Amino acid sequence: FLGAGGGNDIQWCFSQVKGAVDDDVAEADIISTVEFNHSGELLATGDKGGRVVIFQQEQENKTQSHSRGEYNVYSTFQSHEPEFDYLKSLEIEEKINKIRWLPQKNAAQFLLSTNDKTIKLWKISERDKRPEGYNLKEEDGRYRDPTTVTTLRVPVFRPMDLMVEASPRRIFANAHTYHINSISINSDYETYLSADDLRINLWHLEITDRSFNIVDIKPANMEELTEVITAAEFHPNSCSTFVYSSSKGTIRLCDMRASALCDRHSKLFEEPEDPSNRSFFSEIISSISDVKFSHSGRYMMTRDYLSVKIWDLNMENRPVETYQVHEYLRSKLCSLYENDCIFDKFECCWNGSDRQVEFSSLIVMTGSYNNFFRMFDRNTKRDITLEASRENNKPRTVLKPRKVCASGKRKKDEISVDSLDFNKKILHTAWHPKENIIAVATTNNLYIFQDKMN
Amino acid sequence: MLGKGGKRKFDEHEDGLEGKVVSPTDGPSKVSYTLQRQTIFNISLMKLYNHRPLTEPSLQKTVLINNMLRRIQEELKQEGSLRPMFVAASQPADPLSDNFREAQPAFSHLASPPLLPADLVSTMPLESCLTPASLLEDDTFCTSPAVQHDGATKPPPPALQAVKDSFSSALDEIEELCPAPTSAEAVAAEPAAHDPKAQPGESNIHKPEGLPESRTAEPKLMDPLPGNFEITASTGFLTDLTLDDILFADIDTSMYDFDPCTSATGAASKMAPVSADELLKTLAPYSSQPVTPNQPFKMDLTELDHIMEVLVGS
Repeated sequence: FLGAGGGNDIQWCFSQVKGAVDDDVAEADIISTVEFNHSGELLATGDKGGRVVIFQQEQENKTQSHSRGEYNVYSTFQSHEPEFDYLKSLEIEEKINKIRWLPQKNAAQFLLSTNDKTIKLWKISERDKRPEGYNLKEEDGRYRDPTTVTTLRVPVFRPMDLMVEASPRRIFANAHTYHINSISINSDYETYLSADDLRINLWHLEITDRSFNIVDIKPANMEELTEVITAAEFHPNSCSTFVYSSSKGTIRLCDMRASALCDRHSKLFEEPEDPSNRSFFSEIISSISDVKFSHSGRYMMTRDYLSVKIWDLNMENRPVETYQVHEYLRSKLCSLYENDCIFDKFECCWNGSDRQVEFSSLIVMTGSYNNFFRMFDRNTKRDITLEASRENNKPRTVLKPRKVCASGKRKKDEISVDSLDFNKKILHTAWHPKENIIAVATTNNLYIFQDKMN
Repeated sequence: MLGKGGKRKFDEHEDGLEGKVVSPTDGPSKVSYTLQRQTIFNISLMKLYNHRPLTEPSLQKTVLINNMLRRIQEELKQEGSLRPMFVAASQPADPLSDNFREAQPAFSHLASPPLLPADLVSTMPLESCLTPASLLEDDTFCTSPAVQHDGATKPPPPALQAVKDSFSSALDEIEELCPAPTSAEAVAAEPAAHDPKAQPGESNIHKPEGLPESRTAEPKLMDPLPGNFEITASTGFLTDLTLDDILFADIDTSMYDFDPCTSATGAASKMAPVSADELLKTLAPYSSQPVTPNQPFKMDLTELDHIMEVLVGS
């Protein structure tokens, strides 16, 4: 247990890995999003082939108290199919960009999944009983000849093998000209926003034929376009407040009560550039790839190419903290620009909401290259680099910290920058809302790590 | 060419620019600021124009690359504005081609070797051109053009001007070879280029934009590529597009019909039906070795690099 004043480092151990062992990665299997539901019992992944796979945590085994339940496949379904835009002669990718869970209201689970253009509300429900004993139907469904019926009986529910069904309940389409990068469910649990490169729309979960445009940064003359929206999120507590980030490294906080079209921000968060770090690539690396509110809503975190910044919503002119994720890449930006890696969109996440007792108990997690991921612990003031790989992964063995050697003499066990594999990138990570369990997605595998329980 | 004298000037210039930020002892970096800038410029162009995705390319990426190109162009403009603007005789004043004029500095930069200590230092704001040498990479990729770069810019201006003159006429020749409307995209700033039907070969697979938002009156610079983001028209690099396409014809020939212009109906949007031979003949004046027409594209990489630099303005 990571107490607020405990100062204990979390000891991460390998728990499970899902996905093909094959080194040859099928394009469709590339994981594109990972998200725990509100209880942490379910873990959803989306992939480039438009599929959603949901894992469910086993109920804790009382006898095996040294490990929490394992995650096993609960449901798999095809959320989005590839489409073709005939007007532009271009394919619309079926890749799932984001999944967001709704809080559970009844027996069924609901999630929103989106590709570049269309958002869908999926209902995932269990069926473990089925009615038997119809009067007019045989068990196999064939109709009985009514004249053969001599007695009447009341059909009853009998148990059956558990079946998990996913059905699309709403399809929110045709509202985005550009590519959707974010969806965020409002704290009223009735509305949600979807953001593309230039616009943000507000939807009601029940209404699919209408959405309200709340942000529009498209210039009248597209030639003047120099900035796009990169991420957006609703405030966790204030249902009229949301933020959106841009490719120029700014975050705007907007209040929907101020006006129908939130073109003018209430707050603008931007850190002035450090002139000693200025380069050709300054703008590109300042582009924010992810923004996440803390559980309390007092703080938010942004991820740009090289760093994670924590902002206090009350202070617009600079972040309260900045963590360098892989500063050693700064001297490689030209190559990374050439091979497009500089455009990789890393996500970031907070430790579980239940654990975010106060500012000091916040922990940040984000991915890097070579299947490395990083954690920054405000409690211990330490950071750590870990690796998601099938080697060296024995359950309940604490993961060994990794170190990248930027230049000069490489110590034993360190890895030099030049031997990093830039094809092995961890873009998506998720943290269980209550426990110290994390899900880390490599290209096509999902790793689950757990805190070593004492 | 890399005479001591020249090199010293270069270093002085570099120090003058980077002044306080970089200590003169930042030795390891072999790449000059302008060289890196040129490299990035080239990479950016290639990213924008040589990428033919089946799906719409990312608008964010396009915007960022565009911004990069614009910034570099601005810098070049500033640098170029200190020298007499070289206007090639064969480039008609063209009211439509703001984009072409924008690209001019890239060409006029040719006429002004980037190493003019006094002028440039005085007018260029420090912060707009600083890349601390410590950040520049020792990339082999970055260094390889160095040889060609120096080779290209060392000739004294008059020779360059001569080169430019004949080069412009070479452009005209190339243009003549493909009279189809599609090829008009601003190689010699022909104004007609930008009606949506006259698509460059680039956008072969992209239909003209339907423009669901009619709010924007399509500016004359509109060019539906790549991926139909109107943004691309603003780069002002349409001139380079054509030339790049010609040059890279050997890299990706799927778009090009290598028969000499048979159809006046370029609307089939195959552009630049230039045979390799003809291209070689055109470029022959610039190669120091005789190039036999029978050996298409046997010219070695250095020649290609040289041409690239000349075109995009080293």
